[in-house]
Parts: sequence; structure tokens; C-alpha cells
Amino acid sequence: MNMATYCDLNPDLLSLEVSMKGRSFSACQPRRQFEVASSAVPVSAMDSLIRQFRAAYAGTNGEQLAETLSPDTEVHAARLQAIWGRGDARSMTSDLNFLFHQDQARHSIRLSKEETSGWIAIYTAYWKAIGEILAAEGLRNDTQSSWAKVYIAWKEVTLLTVRGYTNHDFENWTIPCLYVTGKYLRLFAMRADAERGLSSDDMAVDDLKDDFDPQAEEHKSLEDCARHLNRIFQVCASDRAPLEESRKWGVYYAVNLLFKTYFKLNSEPLSKNILKAISAGRADIPPIDKFPKSQQVTFKYYEGVLAFLEENYVEASTLPGYQDAQRNLELILTYLIPCRLLTTHTLPSSRLLEPFPRLQKLFIPLSRAIRKSDLKAFDIALRDGEDEFIKRRVYLTLERGRDIVLRNLLRKVFIAGGFEEPKEGAAPVRRTRIPLTEFTAAVQLSSGEAIDPDEVECLMANMIYKNLMKGYIAHERGIVVLSKSGAFPGTKV
Amino acid sequence: MSWAVPPAPGIQPVPYYSQQMNTAYTPVTIRSGFGQAYQPSQQYSYSAPANPPQPSSTMSPPDQQQQQKFDWPQSVRNYVQRTFQASNEIHGVGREEKEARLKEIIRSEQERGTMFSTNWDEMPLPQQLIQKERHQALLAAVGPTHAQAKSPSFAAVSKKRKSSDLSESEQTNNSTVPWRSTKALSIEDRISKPANDKRVLMDGPLTGKSKFQKNVEKRQRRGDGGYQSSYRSPSPSPPSGPIVGLNENLEKRYLRLTAAPKPEDVRPEYILHQTLDLLKRKWRKENNYNYICDQFKSLRQDLTVQHVRNEFTVSVYEIHARIALEKGDLGEYNQCQTQLRALYRAGIKGNPIEFKAYRILYFIHTANRTALNDAIADLTTAEKEETPVKHALNVRSALALGNYHKFFQLYLDVPNMGAYLMDMFIKRERLAALANMCKAFKPELKLRYVTEELAFESDAEAAQFIIDYNQELLEERDDYIAFLTGKAGQIFENARAQAFSRVDLKGQI
Repeated sequence: MNMATYCDLNPDLLSLEVSMKGRSFSACQPRRQFEVASSAVPVSAMDSLIRQFRAAYAGTNGEQLAETLSPDTEVHAARLQAIWGRGDARSMTSDLNFLFHQDQARHSIRLSKEETSGWIAIYTAYWKAIGEILAAEGLRNDTQSSWAKVYIAWKEVTLLTVRGYTNHDFENWTIPCLYVTGKYLRLFAMRADAERGLSSDDMAVDDLKDDFDPQAEEHKSLEDCARHLNRIFQVCASDRAPLEESRKWGVYYAVNLLFKTYFKLNSEPLSKNILKAISAGRADIPPIDKFPKSQQVTFKYYEGVLAFLEENYVEASTLPGYQDAQRNLELILTYLIPCRLLTTHTLPSSRLLEPFPRLQKLFIPLSRAIRKSDLKAFDIALRDGEDEFIKRRVYLTLERGRDIVLRNLLRKVFIAGGFEEPKEGAAPVRRTRIPLTEFTAAVQLSSGEAIDPDEVECLMANMIYKNLMKGYIAHERGIVVLSKSGAFPGTKV
Repeated sequence: MSWAVPPAPGIQPVPYYSQQMNTAYTPVTIRSGFGQAYQPSQQYSYSAPANPPQPSSTMSPPDQQQQQKFDWPQSVRNYVQRTFQASNEIHGVGREEKEARLKEIIRSEQERGTMFSTNWDEMPLPQQLIQKERHQALLAAVGPTHAQAKSPSFAAVSKKRKSSDLSESEQTNNSTVPWRSTKALSIEDRISKPANDKRVLMDGPLTGKSKFQKNVEKRQRRGDGGYQSSYRSPSPSPPSGPIVGLNENLEKRYLRLTAAPKPEDVRPEYILHQTLDLLKRKWRKENNYNYICDQFKSLRQDLTVQHVRNEFTVSVYEIHARIALEKGDLGEYNQCQTQLRALYRAGIKGNPIEFKAYRILYFIHTANRTALNDAIADLTTAEKEETPVKHALNVRSALALGNYHKFFQLYLDVPNMGAYLMDMFIKRERLAALANMCKAFKPELKLRYVTEELAFESDAEAAQFIIDYNQELLEERDDYIAFLTGKAGQIFENARAQAFSRVDLKGQI
């Protein structure tokens, strides 16, 4: 159930980032170049890969470089198969050695010895990972594999890429390579976990524990993945180079990946640690509005949802208002609407909800009940939407909307009470001493059930306690005395 | 579906928590359904510590077990599958022989009621048993009782055994637990181990051997000129499967594991069944929580290291959870609760309704909204209608809406042991309600009203609660005591804020 919750909760903001990248470097261009290269001269696939690598290096184009490490079988199936070739490790190694050592001199890019060895190691691991991926996808005839193996192989690619920055002097324009490895590490980890979930017999229990750890079992790979993503974050955040050469520009991408992972792992505390780490280093990290919009939106979304889950609704109301993808907006509104309901007592207009049939279904019955101060309708709407609300984690928040329904109802009673006998020359004054029985009758009428007068008194006390109503209850006399000025704050009464 | 306990092992007839305790809360009716579990459980053939490990089938023929339509455990299915795997074929053992033997083994396990507790992964295959018996028959021609007399682990057991059990056990010794017998195994190893049988050696008997046995074998190997060393490293490699315990002591101190457990320190499941019975008796008699908790922890550890996850496991965690609840040990309770959630989700039977209700109350106590949301998400529509769950959900919604009137009414009528959990946060909610009342009710309230609304047992208790915060808020009148709400100011508001800031989260994951 958890998993499902988080799957749905996790917005696919990644797609947004991909499209952003597309804008900056024109996704199809390098590939065309690659295809031309491969069709013109009969060269090995590794050769074309390294050509692309060189082109990216010559133009210091990080996205293009990262493209050479893409393991996406949907887009690049043919290319990956070509790279894998016949799976001959020796020819792959000699290819790489030739391409990086001998052939390099003919080209204009200059790689240091450290960088060269770093890249060779990465492409070697990449090649091996491709073998596993093709096998796991059933694209290899000779063997099969599992996502667990793919995960391990890709982890190696990730580790070596990280090492490129710590040990091999990789420059900061290459950080999209970290993004692509991190992004797929998370995806492969989830597939490995799902795969293990299917074959539940395989119970790798830590024998040193006193109890089974069901959570760790369920998300074993993803938890491992979180540690490596955290490493990527550290490698970015801890770079002390001047800002223009700094890996700090990778911070928000890494953080967003971590948020996605931690949310799936159901670990808000870890997410909060990241927020703390960021705000601690905020002086050093470039301001967030200097980062790509997609990264800003994703980050603010998670920041807002975290505040929401902590019941910090005022802060959560700063959920991003970036209106790009319909789906993102819908996700944001899912949290923003309950926030506004509780903080400012405002309801979504039908115009706002118009493009979102799902949100309409969720919120319109509730809104209507609140407007009509209909307790019964509110209870029904809440019950009808319960499963969905719980899945979206807004149930516990929306539930408190009942206070607003009640407030509206009591306000109606107050208004229906009319005015006191007007005094000479004075402005008319509402009747402010109202018998409790009148409220009891109203609550019974609205909720459609009998209710204990003591409970009504309790509800009234709550209204006063929460500052939704001003006045006091004189219990012994059975009346409520409301304030002459502004008995229901914020409602002009 | 009823939340009452199914035929799973319950606690014994007298509920241990029925002891009169000096608690502050109103007595609640507990366990109306739980009582069913207290029928002396017949499932466990191992009710007395002195029982032999393989009791005769005449001792415990639980009739209902036989009549029941059997839902075969996966482990049995796997066992059957392995029997007929081509790679496990043993030359000279025919299919019919194998089938007959397989049926016999399964029937005998079923009759004994150990179908679910037997470790089928470690059970030798029928063909291996047949083969072994042939060797023994061969041996018997030389010295008929030789093999049994030298069996070390059985010598130890037989001391505890009653004479009436002996005749039956001889036969079972050989047919079901041959791996315990060093002699038999080593003979087999030396004489006729087929080359293709390595797997059995690696997965099965080897992992369950005592140090003594290993030494014996090591010595033999030396004599054999390293005949087995090609597939056995001198230091035993980490077991590929779960270990199988050999320890037959019922009690064991809990020790945190710092290295892989040794079989001789771990108790096999049938011993653990006896342990549980013993612990239940001791708990009723001595009520020594430190001892009980320690013992339960070692019991859980033994189950975990042997990968035992069945209804017995559930009952162990359920019982420990209840005891921990009663003693207010939330850390242990929460550990058990976490395990139980996973076990129920794995489809193992127990009392999910009872414990799902506790779980909700627990997260109300720890004010963990995320977990609370998850706990609700875990419920099916049908479960939400079950009394204990419904009660817990109502408690939650009453608190969420500040409806203290409803909340304290729910407190007066809690199913099962939920009252122990509600006790954990009742004080804090009383403070919240008082803070509320002091702001809303002016100028005063009768103390009796507070007593009734906040479910105090008496005016005296209510008065004491208020006086603990301020002595001047109560005033004697002619025929009643007045609670001067108008004078309370921020007293209860502050106390409330403090109480909520200090939720004890120990044991929280």
C-alpha cells in the first residue's frame, strides 16, 4: 500500500527535466551525428560512442556527454546492442585502449592521464552493465539476467563516475554524467526490488538481527541506492572550487533524486536532513532561481509536501505555482487546496478546477458541503473520497474542514437570531445571547443524527478555542454569549 | 470475519493481565474474544518440557487436523518437487519406492501436526532415506543396534524421555532425523556417497552439525586422504540457508548477536513451542517482566535466525506485544507490532484486527501522522467495520476534531487491551480538553461536569488532577465544588503544549 501511495505521489517531474535538457542541446542532433558516423565508415559501435564522447568534450557539452552513458533500451536499443556486440570483453578493452590512447592524438581534445583512466574505467563498466541490461530485457539470445544484477552492474558505473570527480579531475561541466547514472541507479534499484518482491522465497535475512526487517527487505536495493545518491549529493555539495567551476550546480538535481528516493522509502526524516544540509550550506550554494526551472519546481514541490506532512500549512502554501505541465499542476493543487482551506478558509473556484476532472471529483463535493454548511454532506463526501484522500495523504488535513462547516452552520444560527430590540439612536445590535438548544437543533438538522447536548457544547468550546468563534459558554445557564463585534472572525459577522 | 482468535495458539486459560493492577484508568472490559484462545491448545504436541522431540503419533493425534482440508505449505510443495527433480535422482531407487516413502513422510508429519513447523528445506529426500536405510540394513547384519547406540545427540535426549515413549522412537529416529546421527552420516559419506549428491551435503546436514560432529568428520576426512575436500573448505563456509538449531534448553538468556549464530546455541522450533508454553506459565505465576522480556527476545532471535515465519511466529510476537503493552514497554511493543504487520501482510494467520487497532492507537500516542496515514491505508473496507478498528478510528477522528466529549466516551469502552495504549495519552488529552474548556466556559463549571466529561473516576480524582496544576482553581460551594475556568488563564494551555512536545518515541522506527 505504501509503495502504491508513493508511486502515485511521486510526480514524474523527471520527464520535465528531460524536456528541459532537450531545449538546451537539441536531443536529436547528436544522435543523427552518431548515425551518420556509423553508416559512413564501417567502424565499431564503441568507436562511434567515443566519437560522440570526443565531440561532447570538444564542445564541453555535458548533456551530450551524459548521452553517451544512457542505458535506455527503449530509445537506444539498437545502439546498445551494437556496443555490446558479441560480448567480447577483450576486444572491448583493446578498442577502448586504442581509442583513448593511440587514436586520441589525432583529435583536438586534451585529456589528462587521470581523466583518461577514469573514463576508460567508466566505459568498461558501462559496457558490462549494458550486457546485463540487454539480458534482463530479454534482448540477448545467449543468456538472461536479473534486475538485481543490472543494479549491481550499474552501481559500478555510478561509483566509477563519482570517483571520476574525486580521483580523476573531471570538470564540472561533465556533471550531467552524474545525473544520468544517478537517475538510472534509482530506476534499476526499484526494478530490482520489485523483482525480488515477486519471488518472495528469496529471503536474505541479516542473521545478526533479532527480528526480520520487512522494510529493509522490501526496499533493499533502493536503500542501498539512497546511500549512493547521497554520495553524489556530497560530491556536489562539498566542492570548494570557485562557483563557475563548481559541482555545486549539481546539488539540486542530486537532492531531487534523493527526495524521490526517500519519499518512496517513506523516510521523511531523511528528507528533512537534506533540507537542513542545504539550508546550512545555503551561503555557498548558488541561489535556487539560478538553477534550471525544472529543478526548482521539483525541489519546491517536495519542500512544500514535506511542510504539508508536518502540518506546517503556512509554509506549505508556498508550493510552486509554476504552470507548465498539467500533471505537475494537478499534483501541486492536491496539496495546495487543503492548505488554503485550513489557513485562509478559501475554496477552489470551479474555474481553477475546470481542467482537472480528478481534482473536481475529489474536492467539489467537499467544497459544496462547506458552502452549504451541510455536515451530513461533508461527512459523506469525506467518506466517499476516503481511499483516494488517504492515498494522497490529504485525508487527515481535509477532515479538519469539518470545523469550517460547523463554523458556517453556527454562523447561520447567529444570523437567524436577528437583532436585539433597537435602542434609540444606536446602530442595531445582533442578538448575542443564544440558547444552546438552538445550536443543538441546528447541528442535529445538519448532520441528520441525534446528538448529545454535551457534545454540542464540546464542539462549541472547540470553535471558541480555535478562534473560529468569539464568545463564551455559560454552562449553568445553557446559553452561549457571542461577541458583539466580530463573533465569527473573518466572515464579516 | 471475527477478530476473535482462530485456533492459533493462545495464552493459557487465565489471562495474565486480569490481575488487579493499581492503574489510574477506569477498568475496561478486556478480551472478550481473546478468551477463546485460552483453551488449552492441542495443536502443540510439545506441551511438556520432558516430551521427546519426536513424539509418537499416538500421543497427539489432533483429530481436527486430520479432518481439515490441508492447505499445503509452500515448503512441502518444494520438498515434493525436489524429490522428483532429475538432479536428485539416486541410482537404484525406483520411482514407486520414492513415492510411497514420500507419502509416508508427509502423512506422518501431518499426523503429528508438525506440517508447518517442520523445516522441509532440511528434510532429507525420500530417496536419500531409502538409500540410508539400505546401508543400515547392511550394517545391521554386522551389529544390529550399533548405529543408534552411538548417536550422541539422541543419547542426550533419551535421558529426558519417558520409558513409554522409547519403543516408538527408535523407528522414528532413523526415518526422520538421520542427519543427527553422526555415525550413520559418516558411514554413508565414506561408503557410497554418490558424486552427484554434493548439493544435499552442502545445503542440508552440514549446516546443522555441531562442532563435535564437524571435528569428527574433519578427522575422518584426514583419514580419507582429502576425499571430500574438493567441495568442503576446512573452515565451514557461511551456511547458504537458515541454520537449524540443536539447543534443547527451554530457557536462554538474550544476547545480541555479534557473529553468525551457532547451531548449538539455537533452539529448534519444536523446543521453542515448549519454551513459549513455559514462558506463558511463568508469566502468570511470577509476573516478572524483566525475565519474560529477555526470554521472549531470545525466543524471537531463535525464530529469526532459523527463518521460521509461520503462525507460531505470529503467536510469539502477539503474546510478547500484549505483555509489553500491559507493562507499558512501548519499545518492545513497537518492535513486535512492526513484525506483526509484515507477518499479517505475508498472509500468516493471527489476530490482525486486534493488532491493527492497537497500531492506530499507538500512532495516535506517538503523534506520527505519516504512520497513522499508512496504518489507515493498510485497512480494508471490511476491517474498518470491525469493532476494535472502528473504535480506534473513532478515537483518532474525535481527537483530530478536538471532540473531547466523544473521545472520553470512547475511552470508557475500549476493546481488547487498547486501554493500555489509551492510558499513555489520556493525561495529555485531559490537559488539552481542560485548556479548551478554560477558554470557552466562563466564568466557571461544576467540578462534576469536568469529572464526567473527562472520564475521571471520581470528583476526587478530577480535583486532584486540577490541583496538581493550581490549587486556587477549585472553590467549595454549598452543594458543589466549582472549577473556576475564568481564572485558569494559560495554565492548562501551557501544560498541554508541554505534554505534546514530549511524546516518548522510544522504540519508534
